[in-house]
Amino acid sequence: MRRELDWIEIPGEHEARERAWTVVSAAFAEREPTTPKRSWKPFAALAAALAVVAGLASPPGNAVFDDIREAVGVEKAQPALFSLPAPGRLLVTSAAGPWVVQRDGSRRLLGSYAGATWSPYGRFVLASRRNELVAMEPAGRTRWSLARARLGATDWGGTPVDTRIAYAHGDRINVIGGDGRGDRFLLSAPDVPKAPIAWAPRSVRLLAHSNQGILRLLDVAAGGDEIWSVRVAQPFALFWTSDGERLVAVSRNTLTVLDARGQLIFRHELAGRAASAAVNPRTHTIAVGLRVRGTDRSEVFTFSLDRKSAAQQRLFGGVGTFGDLAWSPNGRWLLVAWKDADQWVFVRSHRTPRIDAVANVSDQFGGTFPRIEGWCCAG
Amino acid sequence: MRIPRDERSDERALVRGAQRGSASDLEALFRLHWPRAHRAAFLVVHDTAAAEDIAQESFLAAIRALDRFDRRRPFGPWLHRIVVNRAIDWTRARQLRAEAELGDSLPASEQTPPLDGTLLSAMAELGPEQRAVVVLRHLLGYTPGEIAQLLALPRGTVNSRLRRGLDALKEKV
Repeated sequence: MRRELDWIEIPGEHEARERAWTVVSAAFAEREPTTPKRSWKPFAALAAALAVVAGLASPPGNAVFDDIREAVGVEKAQPALFSLPAPGRLLVTSAAGPWVVQRDGSRRLLGSYAGATWSPYGRFVLASRRNELVAMEPAGRTRWSLARARLGATDWGGTPVDTRIAYAHGDRINVIGGDGRGDRFLLSAPDVPKAPIAWAPRSVRLLAHSNQGILRLLDVAAGGDEIWSVRVAQPFALFWTSDGERLVAVSRNTLTVLDARGQLIFRHELAGRAASAAVNPRTHTIAVGLRVRGTDRSEVFTFSLDRKSAAQQRLFGGVGTFGDLAWSPNGRWLLVAWKDADQWVFVRSHRTPRIDAVANVSDQFGGTFPRIEGWCCAG
Repeated sequence: MRIPRDERSDERALVRGAQRGSASDLEALFRLHWPRAHRAAFLVVHDTAAAEDIAQESFLAAIRALDRFDRRRPFGPWLHRIVVNRAIDWTRARQLRAEAELGDSLPASEQTPPLDGTLLSAMAELGPEQRAVVVLRHLLGYTPGEIAQLLALPRGTVNSRLRRGLDALKEKV
């Protein structure tokens, strides 16, 4: 019988193992080994504390979705962020500055900066304020800084051993090495500070940039030569899929999906005004937060990036305004920042639907509702 | 379940290495135990996505508790207990719960195979507790006494679940 049980085929067994190893190794990398305690007393105290916390926290996320839809906020929300539902670390920015949030819910304020972004493998954070760009470790130690006037959009891309940062300042875009060396001018154009930029995955050469309704792919190694350009509704965000096969331009009313050669896959008119979007790091799927026209409601939909005919799927909805979206690094949970409810709502999209919500978010980040910059890899 | 002395010693070395922070030792432990853990979860829940989640979460739970793990004990039974108990809980919850729907058309579990007329289909008709003891006994090789310890059940209960489970399987296969 053992042989027969061993022979039963499990679809996707190999892929499941590799996905799981990615998650397990990431969690292990974040773990800090500790000396085993010999005494039972600390464990008893910990168990008692956990019991109290568990009592406060239970049971999140089991509310029926239709009930949630009609209220501002998820009713059974945890009173504080005790943990993230998936591996990885969150980077958020409140009025106090950027914060790194660990899997166990602990938070660290990095300093008085206006915005921040992860390095491509989550080992560093690029923080910015009006006239200064600072690369630092997630624990807060500064690696280098650069003074530049009127800083705008930034993006950090590259490989595990070679990275580049593209940043806008004034009407110019520069590129600098991840180690703070080799800063050089790339291009200058109107409206550059507000125009999105996005490195192709694992590339220090291909940079997508869009301003004034023209989306361009630039060859940074060739001094910014244009590889292709396409006319689009001016996007507020650009995303690559993690395999580099799709580039998505998200404007307030339109999704434009291109392949890596700039060929249009499809264009989709949205049913509401897009406020935020995030591409799933594991699939060709994008989540878009929409303010539904003519109502006081917001909805989050997911769209396939492979074909227009694929049904859009509604993941979550509620009264008021949603802010940023962020996928967990394993692509299974979507964080929806529900600003009007002062909540973070974690929606599991992977298999059995589930919601875990956290209330009182502003209080936990210095009194203002934070912007979500990214939910990144363990590094 | 009998573990050869050399394997036990190798496993202890891997656990010790992982406790000290060695990623390569953790990977060796993972590669050693993932196939059985994943298969055990799948045979209890009969859902590929859930099995992956359960096995993955069990490894994560094991990592979180790694510093407290007693290296004199074998790692496998410790992990298998977590996996099987989670799989039983998941299956019970699925049976009892009217699941809340998020949105209009969330995809169902991907890649769950259609059940055919073989052993897998026959197992699907057992209760989760029966499936669990069959898996522990016949896939993972534990004795009824060891299963009783792993699941915190009286040995008589394990024996009767095994007997009834196997009788049902014999009828159908």
